[in-house]
Amino acid sequence: CAHGPSGCHVPSLADLFDRVIQHSARMHSLSNDLHSEFEQYFLPSKNHIGKIYRKCHTSNILTPNGKENAQKLAREELTEVILKLLLAWRDPLFQLHQSMAHQQDFNSFSSNKALEMGDMAHELRKGVEKVTEKMRVLGMLGNSVTGLSAPEAMLPISDSGEAMSDYELLYCFRRDSNKIQNYLKILKCRIVPEHDC
Amino acid sequence: MRNSGAVLILTFITNLISQAAGVSSPGKPRLTSCRSPEKETFTCWWEPGDDGGLPTTYALYYRLENSETVYECPDYRTAGENSCFFNKNDTSLWINYNITVVATNALGKNISEPVEVDVVYIVQPNTPENVTAVVMEDQSYFVKVTWEKPRTADTRSGWITLLYQLRVKQEKDKEWEEYDAGMQKYYNVFSLHPGKEYMVQVRCKPDHGFWSEWTQTSYVKMPDYIPRERSLWII
Repeated sequence: CAHGPSGCHVPSLADLFDRVIQHSARMHSLSNDLHSEFEQYFLPSKNHIGKIYRKCHTSNILTPNGKENAQKLAREELTEVILKLLLAWRDPLFQLHQSMAHQQDFNSFSSNKALEMGDMAHELRKGVEKVTEKMRVLGMLGNSVTGLSAPEAMLPISDSGEAMSDYELLYCFRRDSNKIQNYLKILKCRIVPEHDC
Repeated sequence: MRNSGAVLILTFITNLISQAAGVSSPGKPRLTSCRSPEKETFTCWWEPGDDGGLPTTYALYYRLENSETVYECPDYRTAGENSCFFNKNDTSLWINYNITVVATNALGKNISEPVEVDVVYIVQPNTPENVTAVVMEDQSYFVKVTWEKPRTADTRSGWITLLYQLRVKQEKDKEWEEYDAGMQKYYNVFSLHPGKEYMVQVRCKPDHGFWSEWTQTSYVKMPDYIPRERSLWII
């Protein structure tokens, strides 16, 4: 801050949470849009809706699959799940954009969306890291959020060893971005519970 | 071999008899919808097809994504006829359920088209509760509408976030006026006509999901007063 600490507004933890939650909501909407564009324009002819879902490359990250499971996780664990998911999407989203940009089928509008998603995931990760740091400073989070510097060889390769298609990537990202949004909300309500949250 | 031959002949005979009696194997049932009111449980409903004139039973089966295990519906009763209810323990998010319904009678079976469901994308909350619409006075008159979240939705924990909308009209009007209330659980409606009675309804929607039904109509009557701008004219 140019005018010293008194000259600028330091966002509260609740504000920071609201920002990352909004950001994650936008990111998920974008993936939703792009996913439906795919289904509308490309898939009817290929006839593979709902049939060939191989495992997502993030399926080895254990994520709670319901409210009670999410609430059972310690704050540190929940934070770690969010960060792990975001990190695991860094390269695949870049790859998705590259692949879409090089295909004639896609209009530039769609591939721009893919680019935007990649940027958003990156910003969101930075944002969540900031929130984590703030929680730590305020003593609301232990130091055990670890293991994030070493990505767990998260290349988007499915179990069968084949590269995942753009559609599969998108399908998986749509799901993971929704998880991230939900976990962030649960975390916020646990850490800064405000009236009705 | 002799056995299967006997079965074949038997089937042939049964078919002949049943055709004469005007009965047949069941028609195809159809899964009509699946819905989760709070992202913690869900229900699927089906339409039974033709029963072929015979007592016919229906069973719902499901299989989770990336698994071959087939389970039968855990609860046919809670959500009423032709439905299957999945409680908290049987409900997982971010995983596809592949669901089919099988109709069976004495003459055979028929299987519905399968439906793929991820519970996250079938959330439609129950209607908001305790809607009140009260006339307030602050320089001028307006109607303050308040409501509560549907009881089942756990907004406190952050598991579900609800957005609200309300609509207002006079009985004689064709069109409703709609207002977005965001996450607030109240809304002040201004510029209503004095002396007129208004109908008010509210509904809610999760951030990614479907609108609830509208609530039952609440009525509110504006007092008979002379609006400001007109009183100026009279002066």
